[in-house]
Amino acid sequence: MEMLQQSWDIIVTAILRGGLYALMAVGLSLVFGVMNIANFSHGEFYMIGSYFAFFGITEFKFGPLPSIIFAGLAAFAIGMIVERGVFNPLRQKSKKGWLMNTFLLTLGVSIIMQNGVRMIWGSRYRGVTQFWPGRTKIFTSMEIANDRLVAFIIAMITITLLWYFLTYTRTGRAIRAVSQDETGASLMGIDLNWIHTLTFALSCMLAAIAGASLLSINPAFPTMGVNPLYKSWFVLILVGMGNIWGSIYGGLIVGLLETISIYRFGAGWQDVISLIIIILILLVKPSGLFAKKGVKSVLE
Amino acid sequence: MLEIRQLDVSYGYLQVIWGVSLKINEGEVVAILGTNGAGKTTLLKTVMGLLTASQGTITFLGEEITNLPTFKLIKRGLSFVSEERNLFPAMTVFENLILGAYTVRDKKKINDALEYVFTLFPRLAERKNQLAGTMSGGERQMLAIARGLMHGPRMLILDEPSMGLSPMNVEAVFETITRLRSGQTTIVIVEQNVNTTLRIADRAYVLEQGRIVLEGTSAELRSNDQVREMYLGIC
Repeated sequence: MEMLQQSWDIIVTAILRGGLYALMAVGLSLVFGVMNIANFSHGEFYMIGSYFAFFGITEFKFGPLPSIIFAGLAAFAIGMIVERGVFNPLRQKSKKGWLMNTFLLTLGVSIIMQNGVRMIWGSRYRGVTQFWPGRTKIFTSMEIANDRLVAFIIAMITITLLWYFLTYTRTGRAIRAVSQDETGASLMGIDLNWIHTLTFALSCMLAAIAGASLLSINPAFPTMGVNPLYKSWFVLILVGMGNIWGSIYGGLIVGLLETISIYRFGAGWQDVISLIIIILILLVKPSGLFAKKGVKSVLE
Repeated sequence: MLEIRQLDVSYGYLQVIWGVSLKINEGEVVAILGTNGAGKTTLLKTVMGLLTASQGTITFLGEEITNLPTFKLIKRGLSFVSEERNLFPAMTVFENLILGAYTVRDKKKINDALEYVFTLFPRLAERKNQLAGTMSGGERQMLAIARGLMHGPRMLILDEPSMGLSPMNVEAVFETITRLRSGQTTIVIVEQNVNTTLRIADRAYVLEQGRIVLEGTSAELRSNDQVREMYLGIC
């Protein structure tokens, strides 16, 4: 009976953790699939999301939910500026060595954002104690902070909205079209520049929502984006590059691996264990768990 | 309707199109013929803004469209069915068609267009929910043409529509073109299948090494000795 209870606790913790990894990874995957950019500045948008939520609460006196939405919108706007200012000009000039050049550019963006934030807001921690006070018991065993629960729910709602947007709306279909065949998409009358800007901004928004909704658990500081960035790359490599729906399962798998290793071996071992298991999986399936052969499809 | 004047196109230092001029009138079916590597596809891609012209002008419906981005040309009523088809493989037939009407905002018009292409290609109606990437070559070509018709283009440009198709499917494609010409769509068709093409086209241009070497009505070209020898294999 106790065994069962423990497994249940592990699963609940893993799902809560994994849901937010999934939210991060979906955005990363979207940008890779549509724009073919390996974005290493994704964590920085998580970071500014966290800051914006903090200022939303403390400066503008928004409630928790409006602060998170505010953080998402602000990151969306910054994402648009970054895409128009950095990737779009390169795209117009030359697509030679695109993957490498954009990778380096994202590293640059990451360094600029980290240090820019440090310059403006300093490097001290900025956090709030609680969004939604209280703890909730799920099936009698352990108590979970409401904030964690709500963050997970926000992540799931966001992913669902994104799924609806990509599947059923005109613009969402256009994004999928660009990811599958750029020439075909422009022959349909789709403005590639606009779709790229929108995709990048959306991805930044997803990262920012993740950062913002975890503000009470992880306070904001300039280099906080590094860890979530690595986690979302774990997920992407595990499920296969650019497979956005696979990233949801991937997020949960990475969440589960980490929770089990923390539980079994203690905190600090989680990256070692999950990376070892990812390496083992890649030995068997080199292109990732959900990679498909043949059809170059990113958004199905 | 479409007029090309003194067009030059190069890939880097290699010039492929040399001073090409041609004119296509409303309601015509015009063929552009030529051997492999004559520059037919390059010419069409330049018209569609997929390649950049270094010299010359292209006008469509009286307005200059030289080097405009592709998506703007679609809004002006051009439609291009490329040799590679450029379908969206992980989307269903239905989604591919809806994307064909991306520039159309009126829901009713989109439904009318759907109905129209489904009567042209009943097969597509049956396969509505199949992924485009899993269809046969002939079906894919049908889908590409149908998708190109979804926004109600004034001019449809077809690049090698019979390429890679079985004789039966080639027949079906040409039959469709004949049916389209009875509508008001102007059609430009690039083909290596010269015999059949000349049967359905009003006029034709012959392209050789990036230059137009011959032009005339289909009847004229079919009786031209050079064409008979080079393309029809009749001596």
